[in-house]
Amino acid sequence: MWRKFLRNRHLIKMVNNIGKFLISVFVLSVLVFTLSRLAPGDPLYAYYGERVEKMSVEEQDQARERLGLHAPLFTQYVRWLQRAVHGDFGISYQYKTDVKEVIAAGIGNTLLLGGLGFVLIFALALFLGLFCAWREDRLADRIVCRIGTVTSCIPEFWLSLLLLLIFSVWLDWLPSSGAYAAGGGSLSDRAVHLILPLSVVVLGHLWYYAFQVRNRLLEEVRADYVLLARMKGLSGRQVLYRHCLRGALPSYLSMMAIALPHILGGTYVVETVFSYPGIGKLAYESARYQDYNLLMVVSLLTGTLVILCNLTAQLVNERIDPRMGVRSASAGGEVRRL
Amino acid sequence: MKKKFPVISMLILTIIVFLCLACGLTMTKDPLYMDLAHCNEAPGKEFLFGTDEMGRDVFSMIWYGGRISLTVGFLATLISTMLAVLIGSVSGCASARIDGVLMRLTELILSVPGLLLTVSLQVVFGRADVYSLSVVIGLTGWMGMAKVVRTEVVQLGNTDYVLAAKCLGGRFFHVLFRHLAPNLFPSVLFMAVMHVRNAIVAEAALSFMGLGLSVEVVSWGSMLSLAERALFSRAWWMIVIPGIFLTGTLLCLTNLGEYMRGSANKRHSNLG
Repeated sequence: MWRKFLRNRHLIKMVNNIGKFLISVFVLSVLVFTLSRLAPGDPLYAYYGERVEKMSVEEQDQARERLGLHAPLFTQYVRWLQRAVHGDFGISYQYKTDVKEVIAAGIGNTLLLGGLGFVLIFALALFLGLFCAWREDRLADRIVCRIGTVTSCIPEFWLSLLLLLIFSVWLDWLPSSGAYAAGGGSLSDRAVHLILPLSVVVLGHLWYYAFQVRNRLLEEVRADYVLLARMKGLSGRQVLYRHCLRGALPSYLSMMAIALPHILGGTYVVETVFSYPGIGKLAYESARYQDYNLLMVVSLLTGTLVILCNLTAQLVNERIDPRMGVRSASAGGEVRRL
Repeated sequence: MKKKFPVISMLILTIIVFLCLACGLTMTKDPLYMDLAHCNEAPGKEFLFGTDEMGRDVFSMIWYGGRISLTVGFLATLISTMLAVLIGSVSGCASARIDGVLMRLTELILSVPGLLLTVSLQVVFGRADVYSLSVVIGLTGWMGMAKVVRTEVVQLGNTDYVLAAKCLGGRFFHVLFRHLAPNLFPSVLFMAVMHVRNAIVAEAALSFMGLGLSVEVVSWGSMLSLAERALFSRAWWMIVIPGIFLTGTLLCLTNLGEYMRGSANKRHSNLG
């Protein structure tokens, strides 16, 4: 019974993946903790804020002792980890409340912006990629490619500034900051506030993914089965939609998984420029005002998300295209002659 | 079919780089002099690109600051390319275990969001100047490149001519310099050009957000950090002009990089 259980390859794989995930998160936490402790700025401030200045030297010393700041870095880390496992990440120096509360207040806004952006980017990327592949090297494709390259070169923060300048300063059509008007919060109000940040998020990432879809489809179009399908009498359009698209699907899906953290990370800059109250703005402020407890949790949160997404991408790939698993396995066992 | 050489991009890039390096000749005014009698002036005859809110001449700042932006881009690329080639080729040549450890580590660093990593590292280095910022951006940008280098080294190591060279008694370094380096060069060059681009963006974004170079150190990014106040005073030239130079440089670098990536797949489509 046990032996059979242990021989189950899927189970082994799952345990393996979970193990990889846990190790990655652990090392990430060590990294983040060390960085935050190496950074200048007194951690005492993180706990007591301005009151530190009123303390005498002895009082400060006592406080340090009590908080365990004299202990070696390793001991400090273990203590921090113990508290963190119980869900206690300390207090945000800047907001004077529990870090978890501060994050909970912003995460919804970020998910809204990032999630909507994600859906829009991938819907549009598929559409544009298909269009360009269909019109390969004709005028339309070349124009779209050119415009795409230009948009992908514009730094997100400058695009934000430009849109702000045009639509909220010169034309005065759209609000320049925040997620909703003071006191307000109606659906239309939120939508109006989302337009500019969302456009920047979408424009900033769109072409990168659309171009990949296009190139993947162009590879697919050159496969032999396309000739066969054409010979059977299917039109080019039918072959593209029914056959080539399916062939490009695995890379599209894994691209989605890898893109998720990138797009959420991309909202950071945008949130800061538009003063949109989300995680990105928090991260920026915590770095700026040396609010390390907050910065640590934000980094951990995003890092974990990235690790999770990368694993998902790998799994999705293997699931959809069994060849992938074999290929990566053989890549691992490659003969090394060097 | 070879891709066409991007003549226009190269030309524009050369002009920008040359004028920035020779900023002593191009500048019409002292870029650091604060002419308080002419604050926030629109572009005109005396101030070709206008002045900022401290009365500095934007035209001179563009060239003077461009030199700093380009320096950061170049230095950071130098650092990360060296790191990437080193780690990538060690990982590709070493035993499977060392390779595994190095690659997991690379992936791990890759999983920390770039901006956060840069910001925390910069915090460790203390107040940012041109060199520390270059080091920080260089230290945070090698991972992707290292992975590509490793893959290439492994692939090249499996080719028959490397095997032949080894059979004929070629030492490790002979194989490395004679056979691997020439083959690695094009892809490393492509990635290096792309990395100059990323480093310039990173510098600009960080300085813009007030986490990089301070306002007194003129660069394209730190010029844009004045933009938020420029929005209120409707000083559009403070936003549009540095941005155009920044984006133009990035675009030219991208076109150049795309060209270096080598010839495109030009087999005929089966669809038509």
